[in-house]
Amino acid sequence: MTTVIETPVIEVRGLTKTYGTVRALDGLDLSIPRGGVYGVLGPNGAGKSTLFRILLGLIRPTEGAASVMGGPVGQVASMRRMGSMIETPRFPPYMTARQVLHWLALEHGVGAAVDVPGWLERVGLTEAADRKVKGFSVGMLQRLGVAAALMSKPELVILDEPTSGMDPPGIQEMRALIRSLADDDGVTVVLASHQLQEVQRICDRVAILHKGKLVREGAVTELTATGEQLRLSVKPVDQVIGILGSRGVRDGAAVLANVSRAEGPGLIRALVEAGIEIDEARWVGADLESVFFTETGSIRAPETTHAG
Amino acid sequence: MLVDALRAEAYRFSLNRMQVFVSVVMTPLLFAIGGAFFHYISKSKGDEAADKVGLIIPASATPVNLGDAFAFAASGSANGVILICMLIGAATLYAGDYRWESWRLISARNDRVSLILAKVGVVKLLAIASSLLFLAATFVFLIAQAVVYERSLSFSIDGAEAGKAALVWLLSYVRIVQFTMIALLTAVMSRSLLAALFVPWALGFVQGILGTASPLLGWEPQMWLPQLLLPGLAYDTLKAAVAGPLAAPLTDATVWRSLTGLALWTILPLIGALAWFKRQDLSKE
Repeated sequence: MTTVIETPVIEVRGLTKTYGTVRALDGLDLSIPRGGVYGVLGPNGAGKSTLFRILLGLIRPTEGAASVMGGPVGQVASMRRMGSMIETPRFPPYMTARQVLHWLALEHGVGAAVDVPGWLERVGLTEAADRKVKGFSVGMLQRLGVAAALMSKPELVILDEPTSGMDPPGIQEMRALIRSLADDDGVTVVLASHQLQEVQRICDRVAILHKGKLVREGAVTELTATGEQLRLSVKPVDQVIGILGSRGVRDGAAVLANVSRAEGPGLIRALVEAGIEIDEARWVGADLESVFFTETGSIRAPETTHAG
Repeated sequence: MLVDALRAEAYRFSLNRMQVFVSVVMTPLLFAIGGAFFHYISKSKGDEAADKVGLIIPASATPVNLGDAFAFAASGSANGVILICMLIGAATLYAGDYRWESWRLISARNDRVSLILAKVGVVKLLAIASSLLFLAATFVFLIAQAVVYERSLSFSIDGAEAGKAALVWLLSYVRIVQFTMIALLTAVMSRSLLAALFVPWALGFVQGILGTASPLLGWEPQMWLPQLLLPGLAYDTLKAAVAGPLAAPLTDATVWRSLTGLALWTILPLIGALAWFKRQDLSKE
């Protein structure tokens, strides 16, 4: 029997990038397998954008090595099998959407082979095809950027905040497009997003970065299945966080305690003895948000998801 | 890869109509229109105005020779106004688009050397287009002269004159490319459109002043120092060498020094820009 070991689409070993005294990446090791949608998560400053820029050859690592599609970063033959969109794209303002795609098709070496009208239709820009991009909204630029990233039919697509600036219907369409790329076209999609619920919904695997290092990696289903937590509605929250230390995460006006079922009663007893007022205590299954906040030590805001 | 980048750069620049107009079309157009107007004024004021600018009006029975346009256009196609207009186009191409937003779109799918060489290639095409349009404008200028002064037109050019015009045209082309190479190096190093415009202009200005002040500095055209420091002087020396037989102080050695000076000012900025760009982090400004 022959075992086929498939080369990862992205392989990163000991990747370090420093800006002066700041270490944006700190010896990062990461291997992204072929197929599916892969999410790269982390609070601001975790190193996601730096990682993406290194993978795209925009910046050079201080130490370590990275390969894309089996070739070192910067090798054009490998890089041409990849499409990308980093943050909200900006295009020459004097060009129309159609001209932008034609220009980038020429630049990417695919020229006339690209179905420009088809891609404009796929991202919902047919009516704006002949309008100059200087009048485009952020969402429209984002759609055009996605079309530019996908039109040369890459095997790997890197998207940084692909739904940023989009309205809810646009976000839904983008989610469907990303999923269909992976499911129907066999494209590997690697994306970074602050929308953790969105990531949980469309990603198959995730990597969580914190301070330039990988703190957790795995299938979304695995990460969320193993993280049962005790949710405590308590007053004062800060005192409970202090008692729990790294095992406690703020969740609005409550605290998520990473303790086992056996430890639960003892914890509640200890909190009562410490004078903590407990309104409710219940076991909850972990979602990606709670895994993220646990791993990065971030605080979950009461109303909105806060990844900073 | 270079071909892809060249096609893409040429396509993009062709859509930037304002820059195409300013860098390539404006000067020849103004020269053609202004020239025709000048002939009209000159005739109405007698031939004094023409004498003042050194313009020879053919005698009444003599036709205007359109063949003269080649030598005139070849010599004038790297004049100061054209150099400044070409600088505006080149700086826009090198620095105006030299931003994080552009590079993140294209650099992942092409190698950096090709991307820079493509921009240089487009500037070279612009220089050729500018020279050809200037030649066309010179034809218009001469035709206007014939119309205003009621002369017939003729066309004659001998082989030697054509050869000289071609050589001078080549020198003028190199001079334009050399001047815009300073913009390339500045653009890569500074990532600033303003710097890419200002530095070559300021450098050219200082070199012009030094060239004028050469006698005061004790610099002679046959010396290495002025030929290496002043590409404008090197260009003028070579033009003089081509236009007529070598006379003191234009010895063969002087010509080689001029060639060396002009070549170094053309090649070194390009090598510097490529080396710098290959190692540069293309992140946000």
